[in-house]
Amino acid sequence: MHIAEGFLPPAHAIGWTIAAAPFVVHGARAVVTEVRENPESTLLLGAAGAFTFVLSAIKLPSITGSSSHPTGTGLGAVLFRPPVMALLGTVVLLFQALLLAHGGLTTLGANAFSMAVVGPWAGYAAYRLVRRSGGGLLPGVFAAMAVADLATYVTTALQLAWAHPDAASGFAGAAAKFLSVFAFTQVPLAIGEGLLGVLLFRVLVVSARPELERLGVLRRTPEPDEAPVAEAAPGGER
Amino acid sequence: MTGLAIDDAAWASAWRLRSPADKLLLSGGLVLAALVLPAWPGSVLVGLAAVVLALGPARVPARTFGRAVRLPLAFILIGALTAVVQVGDGGLGWAPDAAAQAGGLVAHAVAGSAAVLLLATTTPMSDLLPALHRLRVPDAVVEVASVTYRMLFVLLTSLSTIREAQAARMGHASIRNSYRSSGMLAAAVLTRSWDRARRLSDGLAGRGMETGLRVLPEVLPSSPRFVATTLAGLAALVTVGLVGA
Repeated sequence: MHIAEGFLPPAHAIGWTIAAAPFVVHGARAVVTEVRENPESTLLLGAAGAFTFVLSAIKLPSITGSSSHPTGTGLGAVLFRPPVMALLGTVVLLFQALLLAHGGLTTLGANAFSMAVVGPWAGYAAYRLVRRSGGGLLPGVFAAMAVADLATYVTTALQLAWAHPDAASGFAGAAAKFLSVFAFTQVPLAIGEGLLGVLLFRVLVVSARPELERLGVLRRTPEPDEAPVAEAAPGGER
Repeated sequence: MTGLAIDDAAWASAWRLRSPADKLLLSGGLVLAALVLPAWPGSVLVGLAAVVLALGPARVPARTFGRAVRLPLAFILIGALTAVVQVGDGGLGWAPDAAAQAGGLVAHAVAGSAAVLLLATTTPMSDLLPALHRLRVPDAVVEVASVTYRMLFVLLTSLSTIREAQAARMGHASIRNSYRSSGMLAAAVLTRSWDRARRLSDGLAGRGMETGLRVLPEVLPSSPRFVATTLAGLAALVTVGLVGA
């Protein structure tokens, strides 16, 4: 759910751009450092950005009858960490505004704040929480993707409520209105995106284990010939 | 054909060879005018100007432009309606100036979207990305964005091919199947993107290009006449927009 061009008053558009800027600059610094240390990661990061963009072309059937598309920010946060997603998410939002007429240029800051900053950080926090409390990879991924989606939607609804407060009940009334109107599509989408994440990781664990280990999502399994040596060493030959 | 109608229109536009800076000045000016001028008549005039310029001199197909403008309409209409419904003690009702407020919101948003589309349908992303250098965005970031742009078409093609194959095998026949297929589709596209990046990286390293994909940007000179007309047109729009209000 992106705020369309021209939907926010100028002061809000500028304010949200200033709010998102430090996170995006921090992400850009992380990318610059990464590229300096490993020049080949330019292509991997570009591929990650392209994948996030393309993910929005996957239509998920929704219980409410409509179909909606995943945002992929929770997935990005688990795979590439939130600082990198702040930058990649902003690049993807710019592309979506100019290639899909989805979002806008003056609302880019507000959309980046909700989708590239709040979503990934909230999703990543949920992922870490589930993993720390003993949950497996798949429950963690479900939490990351669903929470990232919900956090993005709640932030967008609050941004809209702040920009267009209710004539009688002010910000609180407007927040209730925007949260409930968009809940019809966004809550089923969040659950759907969580499920998609689980199905995606079930395939990845089998077919792309080395990549997941390299990204630190899965712990590196010892090589088959490493383990016996480590075990055999103290006791000598068996 | 790249699979993205707006990108196709940008490459085929009559303004494709105009300087990106000139087009940025025009569209940026229109976007700002749509935002800050009063909705009537300012935003309406901006919207009209963007549509006339796109369909007229820039020769963007009306069907592409119409479809693209329609995309954000659902959000704009639902958002505007929600903004003017009032939550009071007696339940829901209309805000005192509901029609004017909703009309204003829709006018600002539609005019702004049309102005962004004027840029999007006349300027391919590969012309706009070098402009980020001038805004002092680090080279590494611009390169990542360039790779993203170049790679997304390959991935979109993979996505539609795999989806077609899944659909032919009843992979989207029920909601359960559809979710399973979508998960596999996302995994296949993700692993393909990694594989593609690795092969590209190996290919570039083999050619000694370890710092990335450096290409010479196309030189598209600025037209003083276009810039002068743009500035005069924007000044006229602002004057009429302010005086008419």
